[in-house]
Amino acid sequence: MHLFYLREAARSFRQHRGLAYTAVFSLTAALTLSGILLLLTHNAEMQMKALGDRREMVVYLRDDVTPAQRDILVGRLTDLYGPVTYVSKEDAWKDFAKQLGDPSLLEAVQENPLPASLRVKLRPALLTPGAMDLAAKQIGEFPEVEDVRYGEEWVHRLDQIGATLVKGTIAVGIVVALAILFIVYNTIRLTVLARRPQVEIMSRLGATDGFIAVPFVLEAMFEAGLAAFLSLALLFGVQQGLSARVVGLVFLPVPQALMFVGAAIGVAWLAAVLALSRVLRAVGP
Amino acid sequence: MITFENVSKRFGERLALDNLSWHMDEGEAVAFLGPNGSGKTTVLRLITHETQPTSGKVTVGTFHARRLRRGHRALLRRTLGIIYEDFRLLNDRTIFENVALAVRIAGRFSNEEVIPRVLYALEEVGLQVKQNVFPSELSAGERQRAAIARAIVNRPAVILADEPTVALEKKSGEEVIRLLKRIHSEGAAVVVATTRRDVAEGLGARVIHLDDGKHVDDGGQMLPGGENSGTQGVATGPSVASGHSGS
Repeated sequence: MHLFYLREAARSFRQHRGLAYTAVFSLTAALTLSGILLLLTHNAEMQMKALGDRREMVVYLRDDVTPAQRDILVGRLTDLYGPVTYVSKEDAWKDFAKQLGDPSLLEAVQENPLPASLRVKLRPALLTPGAMDLAAKQIGEFPEVEDVRYGEEWVHRLDQIGATLVKGTIAVGIVVALAILFIVYNTIRLTVLARRPQVEIMSRLGATDGFIAVPFVLEAMFEAGLAAFLSLALLFGVQQGLSARVVGLVFLPVPQALMFVGAAIGVAWLAAVLALSRVLRAVGP
Repeated sequence: MITFENVSKRFGERLALDNLSWHMDEGEAVAFLGPNGSGKTTVLRLITHETQPTSGKVTVGTFHARRLRRGHRALLRRTLGIIYEDFRLLNDRTIFENVALAVRIAGRFSNEEVIPRVLYALEEVGLQVKQNVFPSELSAGERQRAAIARAIVNRPAVILADEPTVALEKKSGEEVIRLLKRIHSEGAAVVVATTRRDVAEGLGARVIHLDDGKHVDDGGQMLPGGENSGTQGVATGPSVASGHSGS
């Protein structure tokens, strides 16, 4: 019986090729637009993740902290927050001098005013603004700690950019989903109307709505799946073409690409079911 | 099996059926005889639930409701075999596929049963050799025989035929009547709507005359609603069975 439905869907696709190809091309266009944004978001997320991975917290130590106290603190911070690197007052001064470039500018400074510090590379789970705020507050309460810095403003801004990208993708996703609904809904409606005599005869022979609908639903899902694969192929071509010019531009990972195809097929299924539930009532005698 | 109780059907201003009552039992043959526009096809459409009565009650087997749910309506139609004057075959399918579609729709048979059932039905109407031919390649008589094969392939208890010979030349028409008579003799109830007395006579069916939506006697005289002089099986008792009440 399942083969029968597939054959019926293939027959419908063949017989209304014009309508089917129009639907596939329209869906491909809509999905490609959405895919471009998905690709951009994915690449932006990858870049942000790379930046985020480099986020670290600088813990300035009090001048009177002994090496033993410092070692205990390093051990605790490592356990609680992630790997810790110690930067002595002398190393900090050398770094500062290197960054300044002109050693004569430091001649007037008689004593090294820079504090020793610990650089904490936070665990991935702590790389959210909220978790970083909390970690900074907790670390600041250790008596050996003078101050904690982690570029709070920059971290929040990075987080906002990420949230905006996600919201943008969701918004475009909704618009594209509505476009797919609209395209598939009308294509199925037109296909059923074009096959009205057949639908009427089947209904007179006692076919249930489900029996009549299944091939149309399969056809819609096939069209959406085909369109999704075509748009992914287009996107892959674009990515390959641009990767020589844009360093680090990557294609969507396989699970995400499969989800893209699955979402397109799912929306097409919904649109076909909605269209058929209305149009069959109007067509069937 | 089929009962009409004081059924009237109005299409806008026009009264297509006026207070019609009749009944038929299993295995019976009934012919609705009358001129065009007399309400014969409306009777068949009421039986198949393609339309609902304006007033009165139609009972077909266990189905009796003014408006059946779509699922029940489909179920009702699967218990009937319907033959149309214009054949209603699907032109993009072979004769085999047209007949097989009815078997698929019935949903009662496995994939393995489809082919032998279809071939048997085609053999019964003498079309087995043309199973792979498309309807457009057949004569009108052959197309009607294909439609009959489709109607009988699921062995329904009732065959409905709407002007089954009107589009056929005399010889093909006679062949179709012989075929219907044989199906009837094998136990199926047959309801025919026709303008031709020879069709009703050929089938040996009980004749119900209709004129302008009214039940009339042989002389064209109208009978009071619910009566059917000269014929048998008037609907007077309760409905055939209960169940499948529609919404």
